[in-house]
This record gives sequence, structure tokens and C-alpha cells, in this order.
Amino acid sequence: MKLNIVKYVFVQAFSSLSRNIWLSTASILTVMLALTLLGSSILFLANTTYVAETFESQIEIAAFLEEDLSSEEVSEIQSQIARLPGVAEIKLTTPEEALAELEKSMGTTTLLEDLGGVNPLPAKFTVMATDAHLVKNLALQIASIDGVAKIRYGQGFFEKLIGFTDWLRWIGLIVVILFSFASLLLIAMNIKTNVNIKENEIQIMRLVGASNSFIRWPFIIEGLLLGLFGALIAVAIVSFSYNSLLQYIVSSLSFIPVVADPDFIKLVLLVMLAYGMGIGVLASVISLSRFLRN
Amino acid sequence: MIKLRHVSKIYPNGARALFNVNIEIEKGEFVFLVGPSGAGKSTLIKLLYREEIATRGQVIIDQINLMRLKPRQIPLLRRKMGIIFQDFKLLPKKTVFENVAFAQQVLGKGKKEITENTLKTLELVGLARKKDCYPLELSGGEQQRVCIARALVNKPSLLIADEPTGNLDVDTAQEIMEIIDKINRLGTTVVMATHALHIVEHMKKRIIRVEEGKIVADSKEEAFIN
Repeated sequence: MKLNIVKYVFVQAFSSLSRNIWLSTASILTVMLALTLLGSSILFLANTTYVAETFESQIEIAAFLEEDLSSEEVSEIQSQIARLPGVAEIKLTTPEEALAELEKSMGTTTLLEDLGGVNPLPAKFTVMATDAHLVKNLALQIASIDGVAKIRYGQGFFEKLIGFTDWLRWIGLIVVILFSFASLLLIAMNIKTNVNIKENEIQIMRLVGASNSFIRWPFIIEGLLLGLFGALIAVAIVSFSYNSLLQYIVSSLSFIPVVADPDFIKLVLLVMLAYGMGIGVLASVISLSRFLRN
Repeated sequence: MIKLRHVSKIYPNGARALFNVNIEIEKGEFVFLVGPSGAGKSTLIKLLYREEIATRGQVIIDQINLMRLKPRQIPLLRRKMGIIFQDFKLLPKKTVFENVAFAQQVLGKGKKEITENTLKTLELVGLARKKDCYPLELSGGEQQRVCIARALVNKPSLLIADEPTGNLDVDTAQEIMEIIDKINRLGTTVVMATHALHIVEHMKKRIIRVEEGKIVADSKEEAFIN
């Protein structure tokens, strides 16, 4: 008996899908579009966040000291910086070391002589923060310490990157919501049309005592299938494009860090499938609730 | 089998359809509900299959109090009854056989059982030969017989009919009444609303007269009183 019902439900659902082939196609395509956007947004944001985090973790603050400080003054500044909250590491570079580094990077050993025997480089503290978000504040605090002439950190770029990902997150969210809403409406319209077409059948079903759930199931399965088909196409598109993109980046732009964790990608694709089916079922439930209220 | 106690029905728009109606119908009885259009016959019928719910009073069928019935229990109530209408409510794209089979399909019955029941019921209403026709290829009387078959195929103990002969000529109406009478003689309780008085007079069954939402005459009560 159960098997008869299951068979009936699926036969009905598929025949409804094929009856309004254009409306079904439109529904499937909108779901596909919504989910392709959803999937791409998630992957894009995961990657920009990953890039930002990777670079952020490398941000250091360079604090250049005033000239002619005694070694006591220098160690006093060092202990002042070390006391600041959020300092992970602090390293002193003396003017001599700085000059040696510069010589090394320029491939010369006569830089001091070329400069007329005077080392223009100041002593420098390199400070690493425990958290990238603290960098800016920390930099300002260090700048206000007596004896610190100038500070430098990734001003601008990383802030912009963080701001950019935040901004993208919102845009992505809004676009995904809009398209989800459009898919919801289209599937609901699709189901509603089929409910109207089958009005007589439904009326007869109710009169002969078919349960409400029995009447509802074919429509719910129909919505689920519309969502699922749209989601499957979107999953195919997103996974194919992302994998191609990954291959390209890994082979040609290997300095860009990318999220390539297969479990994470699988999770994103699963979320897309679940989301698609969820939209389909929700749309059916919405379009049926008014009709089958007793 | 059916008890209506002090039943009143006022529609949400304020229309008073029934007022303090009391009826008792025994198992196996054949009852006509008569009265002019708008008297409340259809409302009364709708209360029986719980399409409407009484504003006051009690409607009891087979010891089930319909006032206390939860929406999800309504299908179970309706499986005990067959319902036929003036407008046949057949599915035009399904054959006679499929229309009757459909009523069992939606209750999840098996294919073999469905085929057997359908053929037997079509035999009962005299339509076995036309099982592969579509409703629009049939006469009005034949279409109503399909409806009767559909109403009966799940073997209900109660047949409810709302003006089943309303769209039929006198001779065809007579045929339909003979079938309904036969079903009644086989043990099914019948409640039928009609304003075709020639049928009612001819059949010599219990007649309940409804006017302006009230029971104004009941042939059973009068016989009892007399």
C-alpha cells in the first residue's frame, strides 16, 4: 500500500513538471542562477578572506627611532612597546644592521663610503601584532611613544582589502537573497498553476477522503524536484568553473593563496543542493497552504 | 446513524442558513430533503460531510461528533460516505474506468483490488460496457452513473446526494433513482436533497421538508403522530 502511494506521488509530480515545461524550465533556470551566485559568492568570499588573512598575518609595524638615542633610551622604548597590549614579537634593528641589510639587498659593500661615511639609517623596531585587526591601533600607540620618529605598516592596502571583503559580503548576500526570492516566487507560481489545473482532481480527492498530505505530496515533490534540478546544474557549473580556476591559479599565479580544501568545496556544493531543495519545498508549502486549509 | 441536535448554521457573512434543526436518521434509511432553493438543504448536506461546520448544536455520524473532528480526521469521515452532485465533477481526461479507479487510487489501494472493485461497481450501475469511454462521450444520465459508481466504489455506509437529478430529464432521472434505490436496498443509508417532487412522491420514502432553515415537516414524525 505504501509503495502504491509513493509511486503515485512521483508519477504525479513528474507529469506536472512536464505539463508546464516552459514554466518548469524558467523555475529551474532561476534556481540555477540563484545557486550559482550563492556558490560563487561563498567561494569568492572564502578566498578573499583567506587572502586577506594570509597577508594580514604578515603585517608588521616598523617603528623608526629618532637619531642619537642612547642605548638606555632605546631599551626604555623597547620595554614601553613590549608593555602594549597585542604585541606578539618585537625585534631591534640597529642602524648598522639596517645598513648591512640594505647593502646586501643592493648587492654592494661600499654603501657607507658612497654616502660619505655617514649612516643615515635610524634604528628600527619591528613589531608583530597578535591580531591583524590590532595593527592600526598598535601602530598609533607606538607612534606616540617619545623617541619614535616615524612608523610604517601596511597602511591603506590591507584596510582596503578587509573593507572590500566586508563590502563584497553584503553585495553577495543581497544578490543571493534577491535571486532566492525570485526562485521562490517562480516555483510558487509554477506549483500554483498546477494546483489550479488540478483543482477538480483535488476536489474529488478531498470528497473521497484522500488525506491532505496525500494531496500535498505530489506538489511538494514537484517543488523539490524543480529546486533540485536547478541546484544540480548550478553545482555542475560552480564545481567545474572553480576547479578550472584553481588549476589555473596554482599553475600560473601560484603566489596567490587559494582555498583548495576538497572538503570545504564539497560542503559548499552540498549547501547549494540543500538550499535549492529547500527553496522548492518552501515554495510548494507556501502555494498550498492557502488552498488546503480546512 | 445520523443525529442532528439543535443545529444552527450562520455563515460568516451573517446569512442564517439553518435554525435549531433536529433530525435522526437510522442506518439503512432512505431520506429525501426537500424544500425550495435557498431553504438550507445544501447547507445541511454540507454539514454531513463536514464541508461546513455548525455554528451551534451537534452533528453526529456513526457516533462521531463532527463538531469535535480535527481537520486531519475529516478524510477518515469521508471514507465512510459517498457523495454525488448535480454537476458530476468527473475528470474529463480520464476514462470512465479511470474516474472510478481514481477514487481508490488516492486512498492508496492496490492495482488488483482497484480493477476488481471498479469493474464490479460499473456493473452495478450498468456501465461496464462503457468503461473505456470518456465522460464527454456519455449522456448526462450515464455521467451521473459514473459519479454514483465513484461514490460507491469504496463501499461507504452512507450515500449523500445533492440534487443528483437536477441536470437530467425525467426519464433519466427515474433511471438514476432506480439505481440509488437499489443501492439503498443493498444496505447503504441514503440522504438526498432534491426539489424534484415527482420523484419524491413516486418513491414513497421518508421526506424531510426544509423551509427557511427550519424543519417544517417530517413524514416519519407525522406517521408516528398519526
